[in-house]
Amino acid sequence: MTTATTTIEPTATRADWPFVAAAVLATALLIALVLIDGQPASAALLVLGFGLGVAFLKAEFSFTASWRRFIVRGEAGGMMAILLLIALTAVAVVPVAATSPHYGGAIAPLGISLVVGSFVFGIGMQLANGCGSGTLYTVGGGSGRMLFALAFFIAGSVLGSMSLGTFLRFGGIDPVLASDHLGPWGGLAATLASIGVAALIVRAVARSRGASIVPRRSFLVGAVIIAALMVGTFFAGGHPWSVTFGYTVWGAKIAQAFGLDLSQYDFWQWPGPQHALTDSVLGDTSSLTDFGMIFGAMAAAAYTKPFAHGPWPPARSILAACIGGLLMGWGARLGFGCNIGAFVGGVASGSLHGWVWFVCALAGCAAGIRLRPWFGLSRE
Amino acid sequence: MRAVYALVIVIGVAAILWDHVTSPSIGRAVSPEDFAGACAPCGAPCPSKK
Repeated sequence: MTTATTTIEPTATRADWPFVAAAVLATALLIALVLIDGQPASAALLVLGFGLGVAFLKAEFSFTASWRRFIVRGEAGGMMAILLLIALTAVAVVPVAATSPHYGGAIAPLGISLVVGSFVFGIGMQLANGCGSGTLYTVGGGSGRMLFALAFFIAGSVLGSMSLGTFLRFGGIDPVLASDHLGPWGGLAATLASIGVAALIVRAVARSRGASIVPRRSFLVGAVIIAALMVGTFFAGGHPWSVTFGYTVWGAKIAQAFGLDLSQYDFWQWPGPQHALTDSVLGDTSSLTDFGMIFGAMAAAAYTKPFAHGPWPPARSILAACIGGLLMGWGARLGFGCNIGAFVGGVASGSLHGWVWFVCALAGCAAGIRLRPWFGLSRE
Repeated sequence: MRAVYALVIVIGVAAILWDHVTSPSIGRAVSPEDFAGACAPCGAPCPSKK
């Protein structure tokens, strides 16, 4: 008599320990460096960035794909989760930034620069298949394609820093901040109301196209966790989380090392950028969270499967990543940030520029989606 | 791709270390918005200040 036996395989994670160890050790090294300088807030930004990398990767929290699904199919689940993320962040940012001199919101002027920059950024998002935060966590997650996107994002942001002064000469309007006109709690109420109106519009568009408005569970959980980490970043850094200024500083330092003199450009004569260019890269809040996020995503990715094991993508896809990265970099400087710094940070601060950025970038995404097939990328 | 990644990590971390030890540091990490006259996350001035 034979007996049928069922072998139950243990559910083992196929951790790629060398890359897990590299990510954790690199983060620990950076934390040690800032702690030696007596900067616990900087260490906190590295840890929070690490957490953001893990959260974004595990939730696959993608602004680019969410916006594309909304534009192409009318699916609004991702958009709803993003609006939830912004609303939760606003609850902490608006009143604290309005009442404490130690904290500030993400504000920016309104003008040609913002409109052009955010539109171009939107095109780049869809070609690169990732935004500011998306580039960070997919690079950390082992995407060779996004290594190209990041390199060109950095180059583009340096080019953007050279152009920004020219665009600002066209003029503009000073930042419009809800709490300046309505006080901290009135400003928060107005900000939450604006997010509610946006959610109603998004829902109406989805309904009219017979599409879903319900986010995936992982996306919803991701939004809550990312909001908590963004609030932590706000308290540790004094401002809402931003991504792309760090890229500009890295690119400028590299360019300077190769003999490029940036001091003639307006951007590098302003006190903040000038200081960032001469100071340690670990003295820049944006760079700290960026480093943490890359290593966090790397640790999370390598813990679950062999790291960066896939083949290189086709050359046309890499070309799209390079062009997309370049456009995002240039656009982020002119548009005062990316999805995180300008849209999430701006709206969560009650600043009108966040909504202007969103509308223009969404239009840019629609244009970028039309260009995707040229590079062998699906419009979906 | 793994080899490229390993190389990027080594070069990247080495560059951060080199930059940190060869640059002055005022201590506390800052963003451009912390400086007087900043009107945007990158430190750009307000249109009305020009």
